[in-house]
Amino acid sequence: MSKLVLKNVARRYGSFEVVAGFSLELVPGEFVSLLGPSGCGKTTTLRMIAGFAPPSSGTIEMDGQVISSPSTVVPPEKRRMSMIFQSYAIWPNMTVGENVAFGLQVRKLSRAEIDRRVDKILDVVQMRGLKGRYPAELSGGQQQRVALARAIVVEPEVLLLDEPLSNLDANLREEMRFEIRRLHDEFKITTVYVTHDQSEAMVTSDRIVVMNHGRIEQIDAPHRLYARPKSRFVAGFIGRTNFLEATREAGEVRFDGFSAAAGRVEGAETSGSLLYSLRPQAIGLAMARPNGGSLAVEAEIAGRSYLGEYWDYQVRPLAGARPLRVSTGPNAVFEIGSRVWLEIDPAAMVRVE
Amino acid sequence: MTVAAPALATPAASRRAFAFDSTWLIWIAIIAVLLFLVVSPFVYLVVTSFTAERTGEFTLSNYAAAYGRSRYVDALLNSLKLGASAAALAGLFAVPLAWAVARTDMPGRGLTRMLVLATFITPPYTGAVAWILLAGPNAGWLNRFYVFLTGAESGPFDIYSFPGLALVVALYSFPYIFIFTTAALELVSSEMEDAANILGAGAWRTMRRVTLPLALPAILGGLIICFLEAIALFGSPAMIAIPARFNVVTTQLFQFFGNPVRVEVAAAYAMPLLGVTILLILIQRLLTRRKGFVALTGKGGERRPIRLGRWRWAVFGYAMFVAALSVFLPYLFLLQAAFSKAWGRGFSLDNLSFRNLHFVLFEHATAAQSVINSFLYGAASATAVVILTLGVAYIVTRRLVPFGGALGFLCIAPFVIPGIVLAIGFYAAYAPPPLALYGTALILILAFTTRFLPIGYVNASAAIRSLNPEMEEAVRVLGGSRLTALRRVVAPLLKRNLLGAWLLIFIPATRELSAAIFLYGPNTKVASVMIFDMSEEGNFEYLAALALILQVLTLPLLWIGQKALGRDFMLRRSAT
Amino acid sequence: MKRWASLAAAAALFLAPAARADIKALAEAAKNEGEITWYVAHYTSEGAEDLGRGFTEMYGVKVNVVRTTAQVAYQRLLQDMKNNQTNCDVFSSTDVGHYVRLAAEGQFLKYTPETESKIVPAFRNFDPGGYYHTTSAGLIALTYNTSKVKPEEAPKKWQDLLDIKWKGKVSTGHPGFSGYVGTWVLMMKKLYGWEYFEKLEKNKPQIGRSINDTVTALNAGERLVAAGAEGSTLFSAARGNPLAVSYPTDGSVLIIAPSAIMKGTKHPNAAKLFMEYLYSVEAAKINAKHFAIPLRPEVPSPPGAKPVGEIKTIRPTVAEIDKGIPEVIEQWRDTFGN
Repeated sequence: MSKLVLKNVARRYGSFEVVAGFSLELVPGEFVSLLGPSGCGKTTTLRMIAGFAPPSSGTIEMDGQVISSPSTVVPPEKRRMSMIFQSYAIWPNMTVGENVAFGLQVRKLSRAEIDRRVDKILDVVQMRGLKGRYPAELSGGQQQRVALARAIVVEPEVLLLDEPLSNLDANLREEMRFEIRRLHDEFKITTVYVTHDQSEAMVTSDRIVVMNHGRIEQIDAPHRLYARPKSRFVAGFIGRTNFLEATREAGEVRFDGFSAAAGRVEGAETSGSLLYSLRPQAIGLAMARPNGGSLAVEAEIAGRSYLGEYWDYQVRPLAGARPLRVSTGPNAVFEIGSRVWLEIDPAAMVRVE
Repeated sequence: MTVAAPALATPAASRRAFAFDSTWLIWIAIIAVLLFLVVSPFVYLVVTSFTAERTGEFTLSNYAAAYGRSRYVDALLNSLKLGASAAALAGLFAVPLAWAVARTDMPGRGLTRMLVLATFITPPYTGAVAWILLAGPNAGWLNRFYVFLTGAESGPFDIYSFPGLALVVALYSFPYIFIFTTAALELVSSEMEDAANILGAGAWRTMRRVTLPLALPAILGGLIICFLEAIALFGSPAMIAIPARFNVVTTQLFQFFGNPVRVEVAAAYAMPLLGVTILLILIQRLLTRRKGFVALTGKGGERRPIRLGRWRWAVFGYAMFVAALSVFLPYLFLLQAAFSKAWGRGFSLDNLSFRNLHFVLFEHATAAQSVINSFLYGAASATAVVILTLGVAYIVTRRLVPFGGALGFLCIAPFVIPGIVLAIGFYAAYAPPPLALYGTALILILAFTTRFLPIGYVNASAAIRSLNPEMEEAVRVLGGSRLTALRRVVAPLLKRNLLGAWLLIFIPATRELSAAIFLYGPNTKVASVMIFDMSEEGNFEYLAALALILQVLTLPLLWIGQKALGRDFMLRRSAT
Repeated sequence: MKRWASLAAAAALFLAPAARADIKALAEAAKNEGEITWYVAHYTSEGAEDLGRGFTEMYGVKVNVVRTTAQVAYQRLLQDMKNNQTNCDVFSSTDVGHYVRLAAEGQFLKYTPETESKIVPAFRNFDPGGYYHTTSAGLIALTYNTSKVKPEEAPKKWQDLLDIKWKGKVSTGHPGFSGYVGTWVLMMKKLYGWEYFEKLEKNKPQIGRSINDTVTALNAGERLVAAGAEGSTLFSAARGNPLAVSYPTDGSVLIIAPSAIMKGTKHPNAAKLFMEYLYSVEAAKINAKHFAIPLRPEVPSPPGAKPVGEIKTIRPTVAEIDKGIPEVIEQWRDTFGN
């Protein structure tokens, strides 16, 4: 039984479609990210799930009940969800303890019970000692934790997060990514997470919904999204890649500088021009010609950048015009201009639209 | 990559150094002007209060005289009472309206804002005149209506009473609280409210536990400002309190300037007023500066208004009720009086007359001249304030001199000095020789300038802070002086803001009464003083005509302001 | 030619210090001076403006009419003097005490208008010293609103104002502002003692500032009876307002109000000319139009007003006014609260 179902949800302003044809089903306890560049409609979708805005068409259901439709919207206060905002929205006029207790007070729990739960959750986020402080006295990371505690303590049906980490500095962001996933695993709350940062999405999510211009590009688990992107946008948005144009002629697929038998390359059934994505890490680089089943292409180092954890090489096949991007470990040093061999596994090339 | 060695063009450097020097002169001039305008009258005021009248030696007798009579002490207590009641009443008017306009889906929100603006540009003494027409105990229209309805002997409303004065003062100062409250409510990010909603709190609980507490310091600040306005008013208390037979500080000060002129006692008498004002301003600052109470405005998305449901029309009704008290009824009856032979005779065709307008415009030489004077002096002081405060704000924000904060403080300081006290200070400092500015237009313009420095400074300071200093640095790197940067980059960028500030000062300056009442001479009467004088003769028909003329002449200015700066440019408050 | 004329006029003035000058020469010199400033409490704004305009039409000299109540005019004058400035050329107050004091301090220019011989004898020679001269006369009487009060019911003597039936219905001015009111208060105190006002206070009168406030209060129907100025009341009645005068049987208070030229005046000729003008037939006609008592016998009393000769009038002496008004102002404040 799905926890949350969005059926063909759209949101329009006049003739402008911010979100269109959005369909998604979440199983209970699943962690799903909405990932995309700014303006792609992910926050709008999140706010529709929360009930802050009605859909222009389509429906949203939770536990089988319709909670949003163009004509009726169950107001946010009645949805039993929780949300974490980009600005955290911690109320400065209340202490940490009072902030966290708010939702429980609305649910009319006893004072003793409220205290118990608040203390427990503050332990979980490691903020117990700061219970009496005011938000103005807390750092960004601490405020973030208060927001998490406040949202989780009420045991929501669905937890919504709107780019919660974008106001933190890089180190804190990494730490909090894990924290959020850890809390999710501990409490098993169905979670929808909005972000523009692909590494955040990859670290935290069970599935990622990649969005662009209001539409869904692809929904998949992180590793599948990376390995088998379906569209050019997804391939380019997640990680780095090489886009290879190819044409199918007779039984071969011709790339710029090399070719492969059509049977070995996926999606080469149709004839005409095709586009493939090939990850830089999927290409081998060696001085000697590789033997094995993969394609061996003679090439020349056209450029290189050293990034500490890896080398980023521009390698041009001798028979071709444009160089390919290749990543190697930090110890594989090649000089510019030297002759090398590329090892390409045709199965690693993904056909994209 | 090689880095080219910077070629220091020596001529440019020395040119810059020279320009720097002359710019310094300008800054020094500005500082001197500030001292002249703010420090000197204040010092004179304090010194005069300790000076014996004839001998000039130090004495405490002025204070003894000022507070020796119980009547004088009563006046001070009355002022404090008036301030408190007017502020409380104004809060009752303003806060629900502000909340309805800023946070709910009440119908007619735009209309309500317009009506608050109309109230804001009505001088309190005009409002007092209108309310005398409305609620004079025997002939007031409300009372007549009541008698007509109920057949009673007489109506229950008596404007010539303490509650009457408090009502009039509250009606024409509630816009201040409205402005403070809407500004605060708009600063509360909608995410704060969304966060409460999603945790289960409905509209009312959210308002109670999140929105109002966050806005409360600013609301209290607004109440304090209202209090200070109320105790510093002269016109409406003079018209209402005197027949009502009680005194407030301002009317009592007026008496000390009577027969004989006792500036020294007046100065001593004014000190507690000054003290109260300073104390309350400090409290207000403390309240609004509390850290963290200005919530971050996050992305927010659409701000969702609270749905009032059935209550929409009740709230709208309240808004229209307040507007009726401050705008509809007063203006209706002002119009009636302006166009009638004798206002008491009512709405009949044979009572209709254009004589009043004709008399005021064409026959009463001083009346027409006074309107011109008002606009001239208002324009002069607005211009002076804008230029001066732009300079000072620039000096302070860009830290051009040490102790720049003190300069900023001087600009804001006149805020704590009630207009009438400021006038006494100016009188003491500049009316007699050596400057002998008594009865000149200059002393009025100077007093107005000082009075409105705070508004100008707050605006200019916020505006300059919003500019990236790198733009001016770009000018200087290319060889221009700071003054060049100010003239050619800063001022043009801030054009609209400066225009707004100019209007924000010009419009109140044309109505200023308390600062003008002691400083005008026979040739420099302004419209506000003219209206006050006319009220002395009780000639309400002419009075109403003149007051309406003044209002009508303000409309084009408002229109310009709105075209340039948006519909609610007068109702927006820059951050303090 | 013009220059000779002004020189001749100046010479004439110089040679006749007690200043009886040829009006024509005076007019020429005045025109050169261009304007005068007139602090006046004697009339309503309208009346004062009318007089000023009349002067300008006759002689082409501008008049800056500064019309206020008497005490305010005096206050302004004192402020001017304190700042060593002479803004006022001609001072017309309704509080005789002002003149006594100012003359004693030598603040006036001695000048007796040539036309003084032509005015009603009763008003001549007010000040033997010749520094100030009567330029206006008026009466304070009982006034009432005719649409609400029948002539039979109207008060007939001053004591009637204390009648309980007029509680909340009485209107007066304020002696702290108006010279007329100050004089009236003094007169009542002289006749009936200060108890008169303690009793009046119980009737809760509406206290304005100028005595002309009573006209507005009655017109509006705000109050029904008043101690008002006969002149301004009748003037308003002539416009169609429901007002009438009841001449009190115990005496209407006669106010004789002088004018004087300030010593440091920058427009001496214009000021002198103005004093002459105030005694002219034209000025008297304007006065009559406003229901003030005309000073020239040629000009008849306005219709509806009883000629002065036919009414019982009372007035305090100059000495009494000088000493008494400041006193009663304080007493008033104590009794009425401000």
